[in-house]
Amino acid sequence: MQNGANYQELSRRYGFAPKLESASRLTQLVARQDSDVDEIVKVINKDPALRDRLLRVANPDAENAAEYAIETVEEALLRNGVGCAMVLAMGTPLAMALIKTAQTMFSAKLEMIDRNLAEPLENEHLLGTIGFSGKVAGAVYLRMNLASARIAAAEILGMNPEEMTDANEIRDVVGELLNIMAGNFKSNLCDAGLDCKLQPPEVKRSTDSQSPVVPGGGLERMAFRTDKAHIFVDVTANPWSSED
Amino acid sequence: MASKILSVDDSRTIRLIVGRALRPYDCVLCEAGNGEEGLAVAAREKPDLILLDVTMPVMDGVTMLTKLKEDPALKTIPVIMLTAESGRDNVIHIARLGVRDYLVKPFKEDQLIEKLSRNLTLKKKEAVPAPVPAPAAAPQA
Repeated sequence: MQNGANYQELSRRYGFAPKLESASRLTQLVARQDSDVDEIVKVINKDPALRDRLLRVANPDAENAAEYAIETVEEALLRNGVGCAMVLAMGTPLAMALIKTAQTMFSAKLEMIDRNLAEPLENEHLLGTIGFSGKVAGAVYLRMNLASARIAAAEILGMNPEEMTDANEIRDVVGELLNIMAGNFKSNLCDAGLDCKLQPPEVKRSTDSQSPVVPGGGLERMAFRTDKAHIFVDVTANPWSSED
Repeated sequence: MASKILSVDDSRTIRLIVGRALRPYDCVLCEAGNGEEGLAVAAREKPDLILLDVTMPVMDGVTMLTKLKEDPALKTIPVIMLTAESGRDNVIHIARLGVRDYLVKPFKEDQLIEKLSRNLTLKKKEAVPAPVPAPAAAPQA
């Protein structure tokens, strides 16, 4: 009988992978608005990947860590605000979900790279968008060059890229990639008390590589590469734009 | 007799991946793109098991599961959730509705087969013997 089972029991029963505790904790802290900055600093400092990303965002002109003018999490939060940590916390589960999806569904080792080092987006590329609304509002954008999208779709469906001639099929695969990422991301937000609903994904060709930032929110821009494809993911969110 | 599995997912990609995972097995795969279609196919086909997504247009998976469990003719069909949503409250709510198992996307095909095998008998298809070439005709002297 499953009535009364708690989440830990169900996680064990269903064999769920453990969640990213630092990202969940950070999302909870930032969502509270009245959290102590020291507490936020402590959580970020415990997660080297999160710390590195925050410092990279705080030092936009630096080529590498040796050139950082802002070297501590405290300074970075002062400069960028606590909202920046929230967007980073949101980016983490998205990035992890995308990396896991690539590994699981097309056996590709996806590596997160500096956006400036990524192969530039072609003028016309494939853009997938999924919005979310509720206690937090925003959107996730996924962009791929057409050739990259075709390769990824072929790998996921176990076909040769030359066989992928149906544009709808490629769009469906990209939409599902976005769905999986956003579903994992939404679960993290809901677990942090930020209940929200996902809108249906939309995938289309686009020539605009700018992602609109939700009013009052921040934007996290990430890039990933495999040996065959580059993927760009942007997330914008405002955790203090409650509809409730 | 071959097992009958119903895959309810709005993503054709997921339905293709499920179909590919099941290809080596002797089973019949039925498909539906949303909860409303899923209920209709379930009533018509009486599958041995349902794989069910959560976020879908028209009718989502939680609504379909609720209606399925209210229907005396369908409520005993085992359901495995196949979804990217693993938020605490959602999982608890879905578990209380009565699901047999839960698989979070992204998933590996062998994870899917393992979860299916726990709930029904999946038999591998028998290998079809390769045709034996006809003996070459003896050359005429």
